[in-house]
Amino acid sequence: MNIQEFVIKAKKGEIDIVDNTIKFLDKTKEINSKNKYLNAFAEDAAKLQVKNISKIQEKGLLYGFPMTVKDCICVKGVESTAGSKILKGYNPLFNATSVQKLLDEGAIVFGKNSQDEFGFGSFNTNVGVNFDIPLNPHDESRVCGGSSGGSAGFVAKMDMPNFSLAESTGGSIVAPASFCGNVGMCPTYGRVSRYGLMDYANSLDKIGPITKTVEDNALILDIISGYDPKDSTSVRGLKTDFQSYLGKDIKDLKIAIISDFFGDGTDQKVADTVLNKLKGINYDKVTLPLNNKIALETYYIIAMCEASTNLAKYCGMRYGKHEKLEGTFNEYFTKVRSDSFGAEAKRRIIIGTFARMAGYRDAYYIKAMKVRTKLIEEYKKIFSKYDLIISPTMPVIAPKFDEIKKLTPMQNYMMDIMTVGPNLSGMPHMTINAGSVDGMPVGLMIIADHFNEGKIYQLGSYLENKK
Amino acid sequence: MKFTTDIVIGLEIHVELNTDTKLFCGCTTKADLPNTACCPICLGHPGSKPVLNKKCVDFAIMLGLALNCQISKELIFSRKSYFYPDMARNYQITQFELPLCSDGYIILDSGKKIRITRAHLEEDPAALVHHGGITDSNYVLVDYNRSGHALCEIVTEPDMQSPEEAREFLNKLLTILQYIKVFDPNMNIIKADANISIKESGYVRSEVKNITGFKDIERALFFEVQRQKKAVENGETLIMDTRAWDSEKGMTTRLRVKEQEQDYGYILDPDLVITDITDEWISSIKEKIPELPSAKIEKFIKKYQLKEEDAKIIAQDLALAEMLEKIAAKVDPVLSAKWVRRELVRVLNYNKITMQDIKFDHTHLIELLLMVQKRVITDETAKRLIEKLVDGPFNVREYVQKEGLMAVSDTGELEKICKEVISENAKVVEDYKSGNEKSFNFLVGQVMRKSQGKASPDVVNELLKKMV
Repeated sequence: MNIQEFVIKAKKGEIDIVDNTIKFLDKTKEINSKNKYLNAFAEDAAKLQVKNISKIQEKGLLYGFPMTVKDCICVKGVESTAGSKILKGYNPLFNATSVQKLLDEGAIVFGKNSQDEFGFGSFNTNVGVNFDIPLNPHDESRVCGGSSGGSAGFVAKMDMPNFSLAESTGGSIVAPASFCGNVGMCPTYGRVSRYGLMDYANSLDKIGPITKTVEDNALILDIISGYDPKDSTSVRGLKTDFQSYLGKDIKDLKIAIISDFFGDGTDQKVADTVLNKLKGINYDKVTLPLNNKIALETYYIIAMCEASTNLAKYCGMRYGKHEKLEGTFNEYFTKVRSDSFGAEAKRRIIIGTFARMAGYRDAYYIKAMKVRTKLIEEYKKIFSKYDLIISPTMPVIAPKFDEIKKLTPMQNYMMDIMTVGPNLSGMPHMTINAGSVDGMPVGLMIIADHFNEGKIYQLGSYLENKK
Repeated sequence: MKFTTDIVIGLEIHVELNTDTKLFCGCTTKADLPNTACCPICLGHPGSKPVLNKKCVDFAIMLGLALNCQISKELIFSRKSYFYPDMARNYQITQFELPLCSDGYIILDSGKKIRITRAHLEEDPAALVHHGGITDSNYVLVDYNRSGHALCEIVTEPDMQSPEEAREFLNKLLTILQYIKVFDPNMNIIKADANISIKESGYVRSEVKNITGFKDIERALFFEVQRQKKAVENGETLIMDTRAWDSEKGMTTRLRVKEQEQDYGYILDPDLVITDITDEWISSIKEKIPELPSAKIEKFIKKYQLKEEDAKIIAQDLALAEMLEKIAAKVDPVLSAKWVRRELVRVLNYNKITMQDIKFDHTHLIELLLMVQKRVITDETAKRLIEKLVDGPFNVREYVQKEGLMAVSDTGELEKICKEVISENAKVVEDYKSGNEKSFNFLVGQVMRKSQGKASPDVVNELLKKMV
């Protein structure tokens, strides 16, 4: 049952949204006890919310519909930690703009999804100190993918209608959605307000939905899009009617595949599954040599530089983790940060701080900022000829936990090779399920030029319905 | 940089801009109780985002223009990272590569140009409160009301050669701030860091941080010159350091030795977009800039025929200058200037009040000075009337009528007084006759006193000369 069907039934009274909420809560607890998709439950908030909206005459587009929210997106009064021990006990004073828009349409928040600490990971295994690692809904010896692993895992595992509000910096929406077999959309940078998003890398962070279907996805993005005076980087004056693209004929779309990502470095079975899904569609082949060569490095330098400044505020003083006040300010915050940040967070703070130090700043940070412009130009050139370009979302199916342990940090970062390009360039991209390999889902990623999410939904809905 | 002068001084001045709300959020800048004017943005809560207050940019551009600066085409903010308990995010949103204003200057009375390297916008950190003093308190409180206030940081070239020059520069700056009304001396804080070195040490620089108030800046600089000179005389080798100013003890103390510049790891603030500063924007602000002190001085000299010194002193205080302009529209400007500069200022100083405190206005002074100009009342009477106006405004003309304060030029009456004075002061009269001019002035004074200041001095002079 998709969102619209649910809401129609709920409005007619065929679905009792209070009952549905109770049932959903019970089921969520059951799933979570084993698969660990939620860092925090919003049981009381959900019950209160459903009680309130069931009294309101005007019923929204998401009347009584269940959702979960990635932990780094603020939900008022519900513990929001971005998956980090350092924010334990922090209950935001406000809702993120995107959350508020969904609540205004009658959605019910059930909890905060597990994630890599502050989004620092591709497998959701870099969780904060004392946090649980979510298990893949299709094979519990495998990862969910990251960093929005709790979002993707929960949406897939929960058989009752639901969606999750997720976030991507370098691939954190499409990677887990691909590994868990659902639809994940990372919109154009600036399309959705970041107000209320705990920053990883502000010039890269995007909020987007993970859903069971393309249709649900377009509906959610329609709701959360739009200019927000509270976020200076949100874009003004855009029309959003993504649902109108659903089911449209695709014959006018000019499509290409990114041939770089179908050869070496990509699991052959994964590549074949994606190509198989594209059978019967006309497409050309393109390459992105510059992105292929240096997008990853550029991405990590910018992301870590920004992250290392964003994480500076967490010093155990104003919110979240507090310890006994002892020693000088420097001694105190050093202790809190040493105890409360995980290893990957520390690694990124150190690398990010290094890359913006005087003497290295020009060679790394400034250079990366310049290269970023070149990388955007490369995409723009391709989009002057094509509407959409396609690659696998991830080069492999969801790895097993013991495989991940063997990876070096660099091999870990290499997993993002397909997703960092569009993320760094701010291009919208969506993953849909293309089939499976060894019983595990394979994701197909569609990328469009800035603000062309509509075309992605157009092809996405076509492929989803195609046998 | 190669220096040749005995003393080299450069200043960094932080001016708190007088906007109603903060630089990146809507919190008021005018709160009383601690931590009552803060929000998730100026507290740096996770998920909050700064949004630029355009009014602060207006103010900073106006200040830049008044300081003869170039205004950049784009406004870009950076993050300056360092850990300090008064910083909500442990980075300060400021400007780095491209300051909003650059290449300006202020001209001193000597004609010397003090160059301004840059003037940029940034946010103020929170205020740290040490109960019982910074050295004695074993805890510190943080007041976030100040966190996020808009500051304009003005950086000069090391062009000043004495504490006096630095003081003159700052006074000129303060006058400009007052004229363009981007700073309220009663509400807002002005702070400076001063870099100072002397020839004898080979220009080894000390930086004195966080000096509040202009008088203290001159004191601190004066102390530093003496300290550095004495150290060199004693055979010490000076090293670059950062020092604190203790206003009570009147001395600086070393905070840390400066081995290298601190590394702030600047990056562009990705939460704020680049703001285009269009020519139209700049022109619209230019239109709002009132006549500046230098232009006023020129006008006072050329149009009002004032002496340069009078023109400068009056122009230094906007309220005085504006008072003069209003009076001079009706009364002889030289006479107006004399009364504004001498008597009005005297009365203000005597009562320890400023122009903002007085309850009478230019109309009262116009009435008064017209009577002086037409010799309806004497200077002595006028002085006493200004003193009385401070207590509360009244109709000057009616009061003069009612109290019979008109100048006495009736020779019959005055002759009587003169006679009395001459007979009571035979010895003085003798002195005068033997050539002592001062004795004559004494006699005039006596007549004035007896007439309770109402005697017209010209008539008295004439009469006395005739009579002795």
